Amino acid sequence: MVVAYVMVKVNTGEADRLKAAMSDLDGVEEVHVVAGDVDFVVKVNVDSPGAVKEVAATGIQGISGVENTQTYIAMD
Amino acid sequence: MKYVIVGAGRVGLRTARVLREEDHEVTVVEFDPETAERAESAGFEVVVGDGAREDTLESAGIDEADALGALTGDLNVNFAACMIGKHHGCRTVMRIDEDYREEIYQKYASDVDEIVYPERLGAIGAKNALLGGNVQAIADIAQSLQVLLFTVTDQSPMAGYTLSEVALPSEARILAFGKGEDPLGVPLADDSLEVGDRVAVLADFSVLDEVRQLLVGDADAVTSVTGGEA
Repeated sequence: MVVAYVMVKVNTGEADRLKAAMSDLDGVEEVHVVAGDVDFVVKVNVDSPGAVKEVAATGIQGISGVENTQTYIAMD
Repeated sequence: MKYVIVGAGRVGLRTARVLREEDHEVTVVEFDPETAERAESAGFEVVVGDGAREDTLESAGIDEADALGALTGDLNVNFAACMIGKHHGCRTVMRIDEDYREEIYQKYASDVDEIVYPERLGAIGAKNALLGGNVQAIADIAQSLQVLLFTVTDQSPMAGYTLSEVALPSEARILAFGKGEDPLGVPLADDSLEVGDRVAVLADFSVLDEVRQLLVGDADAVTSVTGGEA
């Protein structure tokens, strides 16, 4: 199992739509709207490191309104 | 009233200055010692420290404050300061850095009472300057309601009449009147309108052209209004 946290910066105020779209992705365990310089923190739980990239790059970045993402893979 | 302003940069210090001019008690919180010194030499009471920390805000008197303005350029600091402020019973105002975030904070940040996006206010000012002279937007009150300041020109059909004789459309009200260079005051029925006088009007967008035509007499507006009421 690989757990990763993805910081998501968006460019639209439609937080509900984005949250729903991210929650619907396979491998996404939690989505939180956060205050600060990023807008969402997404917890990803998948089988392999390759699948993390699949969720972050293809899945999350493919949602319209997502500006960029930064992914942190958990080590413990 | 007592206020705590977090951030002594352009937005924070200017806000502090406006509050002080209106005789409010202001304490400024600033992290950077040099910026803090500048605020101090401008005569403000300054607490040097991190506005995202409760002990800093406590030494700034958050317990006695009526409201807190979190006006730094750092969203994390601003949000934390608002959470602490709310916990201490303050009304909280948070500065944001990008307009799309306004909607998100309005919905999710329950500790934030009011959101300010300085660039939007700057844009209103820049628009006023570009349009020039006789009509100035002062504030957007609601979706379609604006307060505007009109300056009476020699083209104005109402020049020479008194305020009581000005028949504004029903979706508009005169809020304040200023004779020449005098400060604006409460409008009186027998105030006379002369060139250079200023009238603050609350108006619905649909009647703005009509109001402008009456008070300023702008020729372009006259043409656009003769087609019928909007």
